[in-house]
Amino acid sequence: MRSRRDLLKSAVLGGGAGVVAATALGSLGPEAAFATTAPAIEPGTPDPNFAEGRIRSIKENTLLVLGSNMVFHTIRVVDGTSLWKLGPVGFDQAKPGDGLYARGVRMPDGMLAAEAVWLNIVNIKGHIKNITSQTIHLDHNGHEVLCHVVAGKSVAIHSESPATSDLSMLKVSQHVQILGAWRPDTNEVDIATVFSPH
Amino acid sequence: MHGIAASQPYVIAVFLIWAGLMKLLSRRMRAQAGQTALARLTGATRAVPALRLVGLVELAVAAALLLPPVHPLDGVAAALLAAGFLAYLSYAYVAAPTSSCGCLGAHSRPVDLRAFLRAGVLLAAGLVAIGAGPYPPLAPLVLLEVVILLGLSAELDRYWLTPTRRLLVRLRRPLAALPPGDVPLETTLHLLRRSPAYCSASARLTSDVRETWDEDGVRFLVYGARERSAVFAVPLAGDDPAAIRVALVDEAALA
Repeated sequence: MRSRRDLLKSAVLGGGAGVVAATALGSLGPEAAFATTAPAIEPGTPDPNFAEGRIRSIKENTLLVLGSNMVFHTIRVVDGTSLWKLGPVGFDQAKPGDGLYARGVRMPDGMLAAEAVWLNIVNIKGHIKNITSQTIHLDHNGHEVLCHVVAGKSVAIHSESPATSDLSMLKVSQHVQILGAWRPDTNEVDIATVFSPH
Repeated sequence: MHGIAASQPYVIAVFLIWAGLMKLLSRRMRAQAGQTALARLTGATRAVPALRLVGLVELAVAAALLLPPVHPLDGVAAALLAAGFLAYLSYAYVAAPTSSCGCLGAHSRPVDLRAFLRAGVLLAAGLVAIGAGPYPPLAPLVLLEVVILLGLSAELDRYWLTPTRRLLVRLRRPLAALPPGDVPLETTLHLLRRSPAYCSASARLTSDVRETWDEDGVRFLVYGARERSAVFAVPLAGDDPAAIRVALVDEAALA
């Protein structure tokens, strides 16, 4: 692990640049980059390289997921897959019952080889009903959502200012948007980012 | 007992006068009539006339309750009106769960438990008022009931509940800054996403953050970029996005 990280470190600090430049591999301009990923999807049809739903079972490195439209997906997680659950996590953090969004490449057998999986990610808007010890009670269209501040993870972004781990500027009755990780089968959310308009 | 019954007409009348006057006089309430559950019940075009009619009925019942002679029918009318409110709230809760009730003032909150409790208390008061005789009311009881009903009114929350909660938050500081520990990853990501390095590489990225570690005051983040990896080096101190560096690495070739 150490040697691999050392290699990556020397690559970015030694040969790295402020921007990605053209390389021997061909143009790195946006045209070339987008040309390789041009979506071959008919408008109105579902994106074959995307899946959403809740995990029913986990077998080795394969997730069986039931989509909200009652379609089953099998999703394979490999070494190169990124997993998010309030931050980058290992595959062992994926549990049956978790909701997910996954993006990757659809294999000919129908399996989705995942490049990125986001577990329980939610994005909710509402106004702050009350603030108690390390929790924000959010009123989202009349439904209360209990949002937990997670030390060392939760940040607030006020307007365009840099993200800060100090959430004490938030006020009762103001509007916010909260990005976080849902706790399955509850009305509770762990906060990743609180966006405040001021 | 007689005093309790005799107090109820005054409590009910206070609320009916408030509700009736709001419906007849509040311009804002008429403007928002289309968003209440009443509009759902009567159709949007008839919402304002229906609102006015309900307001007139409320004022008429309030007048009957306050003016002598005391008659059991006054209480019956009040109880019927309160039962009508309860039925209307149930309808709003089922048929238009996101609409406000439009009962006592303009606000956008949907019908909740407090609205039902308030209508329930008014119904109970109406039923007790049927047995009211010509006795003097108990002023403390009237006051207590009015305060309870006001507390159950979501329309007034911004005048007492929100300021109280704000004051408590200011005194208790429940989200007081924790002792400064590590820089949260989201803070680094917020900076990273605004950097020229990330913008130039973002079209190539295929995954979210795969791996991250801190070393010598620099946070390293690894993303997947097709068969290669994109490595970003973000200084932990400072907030200049231009200081972020990136490299695309072929990990298979490195191994």
